[in-house]
Amino acid sequence: MYKHLIMRPILLIAILLLTTTAYSQTEYAYETFDDTRIVNGHSVETNMEGVLTFIISHRFGTLNLGAYEVWGLDNATMRMGLDYGITGNLMVGIGRSTFEKTADGYLKYRLLAQSSGDRTVPVTLTLLGTTALKTLRRFDGIDLTLQQKLSYTSQVLISRKFSPRFSAQIMPTYLHRNLVEDDEQNDIFSLGFAGQYQLSKNWSLSMEYYATPGSDLPDGSGPSPEYSQSMALGVQIDTKGHVFQLHFGNSRGMIEKFFVAETSGKWQDGDIHFGFNITRDFTVKGRRVR
Amino acid sequence: MKKHLIIFGTLLILSMAMIPAGFQTTLDATTPIATLLFDLGEPKPEHLIENPSAEEILRGEEIVKLGRTMAPDGSQSSYVSKYYTCTSCHNVVREDPDLTVVDQDARLDYAMTNNIAYLQGSTFWGMVNRETWYNDDYVLKYGDLVRKAEKSLEESVHLCATVCAQGRPLEDWEMQSVLAYFWSLQMKIGDLNLSDSEKKQLAGTTLTDAEKIALIKSEYLQKSPATFVDPPDNKRKGYPYEGDPKLGKGIYELGCQHCHRPEGESDVVFDNSNLTYKWLKRHIPDNSELSIYEIIRKGTYAEYGHKEYMPHYTQEKMSDQQLEHLRAFIEHPEDAN
Repeated sequence: MYKHLIMRPILLIAILLLTTTAYSQTEYAYETFDDTRIVNGHSVETNMEGVLTFIISHRFGTLNLGAYEVWGLDNATMRMGLDYGITGNLMVGIGRSTFEKTADGYLKYRLLAQSSGDRTVPVTLTLLGTTALKTLRRFDGIDLTLQQKLSYTSQVLISRKFSPRFSAQIMPTYLHRNLVEDDEQNDIFSLGFAGQYQLSKNWSLSMEYYATPGSDLPDGSGPSPEYSQSMALGVQIDTKGHVFQLHFGNSRGMIEKFFVAETSGKWQDGDIHFGFNITRDFTVKGRRVR
Repeated sequence: MKKHLIIFGTLLILSMAMIPAGFQTTLDATTPIATLLFDLGEPKPEHLIENPSAEEILRGEEIVKLGRTMAPDGSQSSYVSKYYTCTSCHNVVREDPDLTVVDQDARLDYAMTNNIAYLQGSTFWGMVNRETWYNDDYVLKYGDLVRKAEKSLEESVHLCATVCAQGRPLEDWEMQSVLAYFWSLQMKIGDLNLSDSEKKQLAGTTLTDAEKIALIKSEYLQKSPATFVDPPDNKRKGYPYEGDPKLGKGIYELGCQHCHRPEGESDVVFDNSNLTYKWLKRHIPDNSELSIYEIIRKGTYAEYGHKEYMPHYTQEKMSDQQLEHLRAFIEHPEDAN
C-alpha cells in the first residue's frame, strides 16, 4: 500500500523526465574512455545499470626473454573478473589474479559527469575503492592473518573529454598495504596520468603512467627487488558488446597494489610485458530509460 | 385535461424536431471514431476495452514508455524486456498529416516540424482503430508468428514483447493496461480531414449507416502497409535519387539517434562527430550490417543472448529517396547547415 504510494510518483516523474529530456539543454560527455579500464587501472567509466561484464586479462612475460620464450608468451599471468552496474553511476567488481594468487574487489561511483549547456561541469569525477587479498602461501611457512594479507587503494579519477578524439585523466591514488617488506612503505601516494586518442570510430590508442615517488619504492638493496614506476601503451578495438585492449607495459600485476607499488620491470631494459584485456557485456536486467 | 394533452403533445413534437437524428448529437471533433462506428452498427473488436479506468491507462502508459509499472497489488512489476521499451520503436503521437495515404515525405516533414521520432514501427496513436497489424511482407520476417498477430492487436503486442524485444509475455492485467492506454490514443472525428460536405453527409440522412461507416473508414488507413525492399544492387551508387543533406539530417537525428544515442538501446553510439560520419561513410558499400543500406533495409534478427535487434525500415517507413537523403547527410554533414 505505502510502497504503491511512493513508487507511483517516482514512475510519474520518470515519465515526465523522459518527456522533457528533449528540451533539456544539458549535454553530457559520453565514452570519455572506451572501457572501464584504460590499461591496468580504472577509467572514469562505469557500467550501465544492469550490465554484467566479464573481463579476462593476460600479461605475458617480458619481451626481452627472447625467442625461446616466444618473447614472453610462454609465461602468462591472468586475471578474470566480473563487473556489474548497480546503477548507471555505481558499480562493483570482483576478480581473481593468478599473480600472487590474489583476489580483489572494488566499488566505484561516478560523482560528477562532464557536461555543457545549462549545467556545465568541466570534468567527470569518479571515486574508486579497492581491496586485494593475497592468498599465495609463503615459502617460509609463516601463516599470515587475514589482515596481513589485505591491501587497500583509494583513487579519485578525474577526466575530461577534450574532443571526440582526445580524453585525458589524472588519478590521485592512495595505496595502503597492511604487510610490507622492511624496505617498503605501508602507505604510498601516487599520481596517475592517462590518455586516450581515438584513431577512428572503434580504434583508439591509450597510455597510462603512475608517478609513484621513487623514495617510496625500494631500490633493490634490501629484501625487495627494485621497483619502478608503471607505464603502459595500448591500442583498443571497440566492437558491439566487446572491447579488446592490447598493450605493452612494464607491470605484471593487473590490480592497483601491483602496478602502483610493485612494478619490477624497466622499459629501458626491455622488461616489457605484452598483455590484453577482453570484455564481454551481458545485460542481466532491465534499466531505467534515459 | 384536453388542454393539457394539447400542450404536452405540442411540446413533444417540438422537442423531437429539435433533437437531431441518431448519432448526430455526438458528431463533434472530440467524438472517438470507434464510438461513432459502433453507433452505426460496426462490430466491436476483440481488443476493445470498454470504460478503462484512469489507473489502467496510467499503468499501460508506464509499461509502454518505461517497461514496467506498479501492479494492481501495489508491487513493482518486472521489466517486460531487459533491452527495449515499446517506445524504442513506436511513437505515441500522430505521425502523418494525411491519414489516408502513405506519404513518407509528408511524414518526415511532419516529424521534423513537430520533433517526432522517425521510427520503424507504427505509432500507437490510432493503433486501436486499425483492423490488421504486422501486415503484408512482415510474414517474410516472422513467418507463421505473424498469422495470429496480423488479426489481433493482443497477439501483435505479444509478438513484439517476446520476439522483437526479447522480453517476456505480458500478464493479463498488463495486456489490459496496455490496451487501455492504446484506447486512450484512439483517433477522434477531429483528427480526420473531413470536408464540410462529408460532415453534412455524416450528420444527415442521405447515407445509410453502412455508407457512413465506409465514408469514415475512407478517411484513414485500416492497416499500416509494409513492403520489404532490398538494398541497391550497387551500394556505391546507391538508389537512383539525389539526396538532400538537410532532410538526411532530420532522419539521422529523429531516426538513427533515437536508439543510437549515449546510453540508448544500442551500444553503437552515433554522435555528431566526423569520426562517426566517416565510419558510416566508409561502410556504405559493405555487404554487412555496418552498411546503412543493409541495416536499414534488412535490420537484424533478434537472437537468444541478445544480438542487438534492429527492426528494418519498410519502404513505407523510409523511402529509397529518403535513404539517399540520409546518405547525403552522412557524406556531407556540413551541407545540412
